[in-house]
Amino acid sequence: MANIKIIKSEFKGQADLQLAPAIKAGFPSPADDYLHETLDFNRDLIRNPEATFYGRVEGDSMIEAGICDGDIAVIDRSLEAHDGDVVVGYVNEEFTIKFLDLKHHDEGYIELRPANKNFHPIRIDANDEFKVWGVVVWTIRSWR
Amino acid sequence: MYGIIDCDNCYVSCERVFRPDLNDKPVVVLSNNDGCVVARSNEAKRLGIKAGTPYYQLAQLFPNQKIAVFSSNYELYGELTGRVVEIIRQEAPAYFRYSIDECFVNLIGMDEGGLKQWGEQLHERIRHSVGIPVSIGIAPNKTLAKMASHFAKKYKGYKHCCFIDTDEKRLKALRLYPIDEVWGIGRRYAARLEAMGDHTAYDFAVHSREWVRATFNNIVIERVWRELNGEDCVPDEEMAAKKSICTSRSFPTMLTDLNAIETHVANYAARCAEKLRKQGSVASIVAVFLHTNFFREDLPQYTNFQESRLITPTSSTITIVKTAVNLLRALYRPGYRYKKAGVIIMGIGPNSPIQQDLFDINAEQFQRMSRLDKVIDRINKVNGTETIVLGSQQYASKDGTGKADVFANAIRHDFRSKNPTTRWTEILRLK
Repeated sequence: MANIKIIKSEFKGQADLQLAPAIKAGFPSPADDYLHETLDFNRDLIRNPEATFYGRVEGDSMIEAGICDGDIAVIDRSLEAHDGDVVVGYVNEEFTIKFLDLKHHDEGYIELRPANKNFHPIRIDANDEFKVWGVVVWTIRSWR
Repeated sequence: MYGIIDCDNCYVSCERVFRPDLNDKPVVVLSNNDGCVVARSNEAKRLGIKAGTPYYQLAQLFPNQKIAVFSSNYELYGELTGRVVEIIRQEAPAYFRYSIDECFVNLIGMDEGGLKQWGEQLHERIRHSVGIPVSIGIAPNKTLAKMASHFAKKYKGYKHCCFIDTDEKRLKALRLYPIDEVWGIGRRYAARLEAMGDHTAYDFAVHSREWVRATFNNIVIERVWRELNGEDCVPDEEMAAKKSICTSRSFPTMLTDLNAIETHVANYAARCAEKLRKQGSVASIVAVFLHTNFFREDLPQYTNFQESRLITPTSSTITIVKTAVNLLRALYRPGYRYKKAGVIIMGIGPNSPIQQDLFDINAEQFQRMSRLDKVIDRINKVNGTETIVLGSQQYASKDGTGKADVFANAIRHDFRSKNPTTRWTEILRLK
């Protein structure tokens, strides 16, 4: 077997433009000290990639909360769901996106509350097998 | 201490992540082409469904039973188990993926008093974040850790984590453990031991070492015996050897310089790619491990392992070498004197003959091929696997529009679930 020699530049790939100062003579640019990595949704907004899933909203049940048909929901399963969170629940063999309402927890039930007057809250009793599937951390809408 | 983390009924658990209604119900997953049962939920096992049962017999053998049936969806299983491995990577000092559903961890440097709780919390984090239940075994060596994971799976009282930390517990475990389930024994030797009256791991472990040597004259069996007696003798990298190709060497001298190690790793990777092509296969996972000299206790120690999933399974030297070198760079820490590195490729499947021939024709063509590979990779990444395949990967049958079928359609998968984690068109639908 022929030995393979590593030529360093081969694996460097492209250099990030931001990190490569311009070729120049004379004094260094004063901006060089302020170089920063490009903002990156995946890096900055997805805190727990291994627990993050995506869903597409269908229908208008959350429209008054600004969550519309066709929006993409970013769901983090690792978070503990709190009262008032937008959550994904699994009810009647369907995934649903609603507000989590724990106000009646001590009375033995919780509610999944829509944000649309034409929809009713979904009431879940203590003896219903129910778990929040994940907590919605972002919704994304395309404007064109 | 070592740990093994094992996904419970892995394929079934993956399917249940997006079908919570099937928790507590009998579920089976079928082999490629929907031939026979390859994975069963506990409920399906309790019904008496055996692994390997042909699909067409299910309805006859289990009339009036509601059994959820899935075609195997390796795209989904690969993605979800990758998340499990990522969590393990974050929580353990060093890890080795052993198969799609098992991971070994080296718990070097961790406080032994806290390991049981560490395991319980790891299970909880994986279950909560990914939705897959795991069983964790912890012990002074890998053979006993594997055994402990079986107990963790079998008895609820362990809270998914069994820690064999005393001799008393070790002996108790050995007495309860059938000899044919001991890791590394193999069916043939297990049958011989059974015939000699050794029914449990304990029966075997209480023989003298001389007896084991005289009876079997086999270094692997002797090693199993030593591990059952508490010694630690299976090297870490062997954990990755199942259904994989591994090329690893100790360096002639200890190395500190990344460049020097890169050259070694690139050659190991090239060797793996060669072996892969020789057997006409392609691989989908490339892994690299690197460690210092464990015998030099006077020096600072470091061991690590990392893997990367290839978008398109390949046997291409360029792709495998590049991936391996990138992994090495992620593993490498300055300030240590390294003794050994290795490249492991996993997720091995068959390749089509035409593709291999193309590869070997000449360097120029190969270069063009690999450029093409890149474009294909990018398109497939955006639009889903097998949007573009090589002509040689296509199957003869035609679909409704007259286009030739790709592999994924040429095999049967009548009950295949969606791929909510790898295709935008199949993400969860939220009502």
